[in-house]
Amino acid sequence: MPKVIVQDLQKRYDDVLAAQGVSFEVEDGEIFGLLGPNGSGKTTTLECVIGLRQPETGRIEVCGIDARQHPKAVKEKVGAVLQTIALQDKITPREALTLFASFYKRAAAVSGLIERFALGEKADAPFDSLSAGQRQRLAVALAFVNDPELIFLDEPTTGLDPQSRRDLHAEIVKMKRDGHTVLLTTHNIDEAEQLCDRIAIIDSGRIIASGPPRDLIAASSSAQNVLLRTATAIERDWLAQIPGIEDLTCDNATITFRTTTPGAALAALMQIVHERGVEVVELHARKARLEDVFLALTSEQPPQ
Amino acid sequence: MRAALQQLRISLTLHYRNKMALIYGYLFPLVFLLAFYVLYRHERVVLARHMGELLTVSVLGGACFGLPTTMVSERERGVWRRYRLAPISTALLVLSVVVARYLILITAGLLQIAVALAMGMPWPQHPFDLWIVFTFVSFAFIGLGLVMAMMADNVPAVQALGQCIFLPMLIIGGIAVPLASLPDWAQHLSQFFPGRYAVQALQACVAGPGLGTIRFDLLALLIIGTGGTIAGAKMFRWDSQQRFARRSGNAWVSVALISWLLVGTLAEYRGRLAASARLAPEQARQTAPGSGTAPAVTTPPSTETNATDDRHATPKSITLSDAEKKAAGRSTQPSISPPNSSSTAPKQTARAEKTPPATTAVPEKPSAKTDTPAHPTVASWQAVTLADIERDLVFDRLPSDSGIVTPIAPDEEDPDPDTADHLRYIQEMLPSWQPGKVSDPVQRVRNMLYVAAVRTWSSCPSNALLRRQCSISCNRTFRRIS
Repeated sequence: MPKVIVQDLQKRYDDVLAAQGVSFEVEDGEIFGLLGPNGSGKTTTLECVIGLRQPETGRIEVCGIDARQHPKAVKEKVGAVLQTIALQDKITPREALTLFASFYKRAAAVSGLIERFALGEKADAPFDSLSAGQRQRLAVALAFVNDPELIFLDEPTTGLDPQSRRDLHAEIVKMKRDGHTVLLTTHNIDEAEQLCDRIAIIDSGRIIASGPPRDLIAASSSAQNVLLRTATAIERDWLAQIPGIEDLTCDNATITFRTTTPGAALAALMQIVHERGVEVVELHARKARLEDVFLALTSEQPPQ
Repeated sequence: MRAALQQLRISLTLHYRNKMALIYGYLFPLVFLLAFYVLYRHERVVLARHMGELLTVSVLGGACFGLPTTMVSERERGVWRRYRLAPISTALLVLSVVVARYLILITAGLLQIAVALAMGMPWPQHPFDLWIVFTFVSFAFIGLGLVMAMMADNVPAVQALGQCIFLPMLIIGGIAVPLASLPDWAQHLSQFFPGRYAVQALQACVAGPGLGTIRFDLLALLIIGTGGTIAGAKMFRWDSQQRFARRSGNAWVSVALISWLLVGTLAEYRGRLAASARLAPEQARQTAPGSGTAPAVTTPPSTETNATDDRHATPKSITLSDAEKKAAGRSTQPSISPPNSSSTAPKQTARAEKTPPATTAVPEKPSAKTDTPAHPTVASWQAVTLADIERDLVFDRLPSDSGIVTPIAPDEEDPDPDTADHLRYIQEMLPSWQPGKVSDPVQRVRNMLYVAAVRTWSSCPSNALLRRQCSISCNRTFRRIS
C-alpha cells in the first residue's frame, strides 16, 4: 500500500496556479524525489501534503489517513525538514528536542537523537552558535523526534558545504535502510539521480514525467552526445560529410553534436581531423543523463 | 498538558536569556517608578498613591510591546511554522503564550512593588486583592497584545501599533495623566480604554478600600480581556506569509473593538445613573431648612449671600487678570464662591455632573451612602459632639478619591518666574479676602481650603504653591484655636 497518495492537487496563490492537478504515489520504503526548477511548485506540493497549506482541491492520503480530514493524526506519523531551519536564537538543541518530543504521543529518546546526529558537543549551546551543518543535523533530528514512518525533506542540502551534503546523503540512505519512507524535493539533478528510487519531474505546477531515473533517461532518447576539442580551430564546412549527426554546434575549437550511430560518426570525424592535421585535445561520447532529460522536458513546457 | 508545560517552560527560559526582554520587562518599569518618585518627591506617601499607574504602565508595556514583539518575531523567523508541523493545537500554543506572559508580568509587578517598598512605600493595604486585580489587568492587556500580534505583519509594525495604543492610553486613558487634569471629552473617552479601570482597580487595592468598590472596573477588564483573547485566538496566524491584510477572518478584530465600546458605553450609562441617584437625595436635602454644614463647590455665577452674616460671609468673586489667566492656562474667568453652609454634601456643578463618577470622587455606590438615614443636623460646628464624629466620619465610607491627589509644595520649593506673579497676586489678596477672615475659625479654614481646591485652577502651574499658602493660613487658624 502506498505511503502517500496525491490526486489532482490544486493550489492557487492569487492569480498563479502553483499546483495544477498534481498526482503521484510514494511506495512504502522508497525514496521518492520531486525534481523541478525553482518556482515549479514542488515545495507548494510538499507543504500541502504535510498540512502547512490548504489546497483548493485534491485528495491527499498519508499512511492510509486522509490528510485533509485528519491532519493531526498524520502529523503524529510523519517528520519533516523544511527549507529554512527556524528556531529561537537562544534555544539549545537539547531543549528543542525535548520541547518537540513533548508534542507527540510517541517520542524517541532525546539523548539517543543527540548521539545519532552527532550533536553531543553542541547539545547545550544556543541555536545561534551552531554552524549550518549542525543546524541541518538538528533539523533532521527534530524530524525524527516522533520516530516517524515517513520523512519529508524540502531541499535538504541547499546551502550545505560538500562534506555536510555528503553526510546528509548518507543519512538519507540510512533512513531508507532503517525502513523509513522518504519524500524529498530538490532541484539538484545529481542528488535526485543518486538518492531517489523514483522521481517525478514537476514544472509550472504540473508533473511532466515520473519513474525511476534510469527509465526516464532511457525513455528520453537513445542518442549519444559527442564533444570534441582541438588545438586549432575547425571549420564547420569540414564536418558536412559526417553521416547521421544532428544539433551540430561549432565554436572555434569546440564542436558538439548528437548521433544515433556513434561508431560511423566518430570514424568519419577522426578521419577529417587526421587529414587536416588538427591535434585532438579532448573527445567525449556519452549517453543522455538525467540533466539532459530534465532540460529537455522542462524546456518543452509552455510558459505560464 | 505535557506539551503546554514544556512550551511554557521554554518560553520563560528564553525570555530570561533575552537581555533586551529583561530590560524592557523589568528595568523599564523601574525607570517609571523612579520617575514618579522624583516627580512627586514632596509627597510623603507618594508611591502608594501612584502604584496603580506604575503597575499599569508595567503591564501595558509588557503586554502591548513585549508580548506581540516576541510573538511576531518568532512567527517571522518561521518558528511557529515549524511548530505547526507537530500535532500541537492553536489553543494550546495561545494558552502557553498567555500564561508565560502573565508570569513574566507578575514577576515584574512584584519587583516593582519590592523596590517601591524599599523606597519607603507602605505595604499594600489589600495584597490578596491586589493579586486578583493584577490578574484581571494582565488578562485585559494580554488580550490586547494578542490582537496586536495578529494584526502586525512584522516587528516594526508592532512598534508602530504599540505606540498608537500606548501613548493615547498614557495621556488620555487615565494612566500617566490624572483624570482630573483632563478635559471632559478626554475623561469620557478614557472610559473606553482599559487603562483607567486598571489604574483605579490597582490603586484601590494598594491604598484604598480593596475589591469592594471596584466591581465595575473588574467587569470592564474582564470584558476587554475576553474580547481581545477571542479576537486574537481567532485571527491566529502560524505563518508570516499569511499577511494580515490578505487573510480571511480579520473581522474578528471587531470583537475586541466591541468589547471596548461596550465597556465605555456601560460606564457612560452607569455614570448617568449614578449622577441622578446622587442628585436626588441632595436635592431633597437642599429643600429641607437648616440642613447640614458641609461646603458646596460652585462655579460662576457666584451664589448670592448676605455679607453682613459673618458665618455665611461670601467673598467678592476673585477675578483673574489677563496675565493671570494666561498663567493659569484658562480662557474663562474663574470666580470663587465660599462654602455655602446651607447644604449637606459637596454639590456637583453642571460640569461635574457630566464627569464620570470615578473622577469626581463619587462613592462606588452613591445611592447606598446617600440613602443612609439622615442624622440630626446641628446648627453649628460647635454643637458637634464626639459621638457625632465617630458616627459620621467613618473613613471607609468616604468616597474614593480615585487616586486624585492635590500636592502641597514643600517649603524649600520656590515658584518659577512664570508663575511667581500669579502666586504673589494670590498671596497679596488672600489676607484681605473676607471669607478668610470670618470670625468662625472652622468656617474660615473651610473657606481657605476651598480656595486651594478650586477646580478651575487644577491645571495652574502654581497650584501646589498656592495650596501651601492656603495651608499656612489654615495652620495659623488652627494654632489660634488650640
